[in-house]
Amino acid sequence: MLIPKTCFRPAVAASLTLLLTFASGCTKHTDTPTATTNAQAPQSGVASKLGDLSTFQSIATDVSSLVDKGDLSQAKARIKDLEVAWDAAEAGLKPRAAEDWHKLDKAIDQALEALRADTPNQTACKTAMTQLMQTFAALAGKR
Amino acid sequence: MSCIPAQPTKSWLNKVPEVTLAFWIIKIMSTTVGETVADFLAVNAGWGQGATRSVMGAFLIAALVMQVRTRRYTPWIYWLTVVLISVVGTQITDLLTDGLGISLYLSTAAFSALLAALFYVWYRVERTLSIHDIVTRRRELFYWATILCTFALGTAAGDLATEALGLGFTLGVMAFGSLIGLTFAIWRMGGHAVLTFWIAYILTRPFGAALGDLLTQAKAYGGLGLGAMWTSALFLSVIVILVSIAQRHTRSPELVPTSR
Repeated sequence: MLIPKTCFRPAVAASLTLLLTFASGCTKHTDTPTATTNAQAPQSGVASKLGDLSTFQSIATDVSSLVDKGDLSQAKARIKDLEVAWDAAEAGLKPRAAEDWHKLDKAIDQALEALRADTPNQTACKTAMTQLMQTFAALAGKR
Repeated sequence: MSCIPAQPTKSWLNKVPEVTLAFWIIKIMSTTVGETVADFLAVNAGWGQGATRSVMGAFLIAALVMQVRTRRYTPWIYWLTVVLISVVGTQITDLLTDGLGISLYLSTAAFSALLAALFYVWYRVERTLSIHDIVTRRRELFYWATILCTFALGTAAGDLATEALGLGFTLGVMAFGSLIGLTFAIWRMGGHAVLTFWIAYILTRPFGAALGDLLTQAKAYGGLGLGAMWTSALFLSVIVILVSIAQRHTRSPELVPTSR
């Protein structure tokens, strides 16, 4: 309990130094992946109030075509990429337009739910994916 | 920092740490780590929100039981409990907002009222809200209930700032950081110590979340692009270092309390 402040101070300073070194070192590392992600954005006309949604939209397009082909298990596997990417970007996107973010979030949730049903149903998946693609289109139209 | 208060220590020694700079650093960083772990389990590992909630809830109960049973402040148990409370407090708010569709205005108001009620009852029962004399089981339960409530309130208030004001993480770090600075200044100028402590405790929740986002988020969104993994690994290392230093200090032989 007798934690002398004199011992704590250098420890705190050391930890902060470590933190900053780490942070500056790692920032450089991630330059490349970020650049590639941006370069991969192939589609046009997908900017909305939320900004560039093309990465998410292109995954959704993949899922949609898999559903159309009737390959629901592949579609289920692919939509996870959308879930992970969407979840990771929440803090960056949501403040830009919370209302729009919720619309898209809900549409993604419904697609996830349809594809992850115990016995996924082609019609239900298709409806959910159409809904999701329409939401993307509507948000892009809003600008 | 003062040592054990010179009052008769019933059967316990103080069960919680002194409030130092290291205390706040660990507290702020544990928010990010807790959130990343819960997110990772729910989304990346594919457990889903329901299973993650149950597992985290069970872990929290186990940690709390351990914490309540120790007879003195044990840094790793204490901070494990804080991390788990941070996760569960966040999950409670998320469940209310996303699962039950309760508005953030309502949950922010409700958690504020609940916190006020907790303080009222705690004060009525104990005649003090001191965080330096957590020396009985009842006081400790008040302490942990209050901490859970501040995490839920901090999450709701922080989310509300994002939703209603469009407050992103960069502005969030500055806004909540300034409020924490203001609280610190008020405390230094003689403001009520216990009150300013709890205000800072609430504010560090959204501040920690915004700070975590600043490091985690991609550069395209104005973050530093470290990613959730690196940020958490970094924060976790700092936490582990600070907690082990604290742990080592409590183990020093001259500090072992005379057996009672």
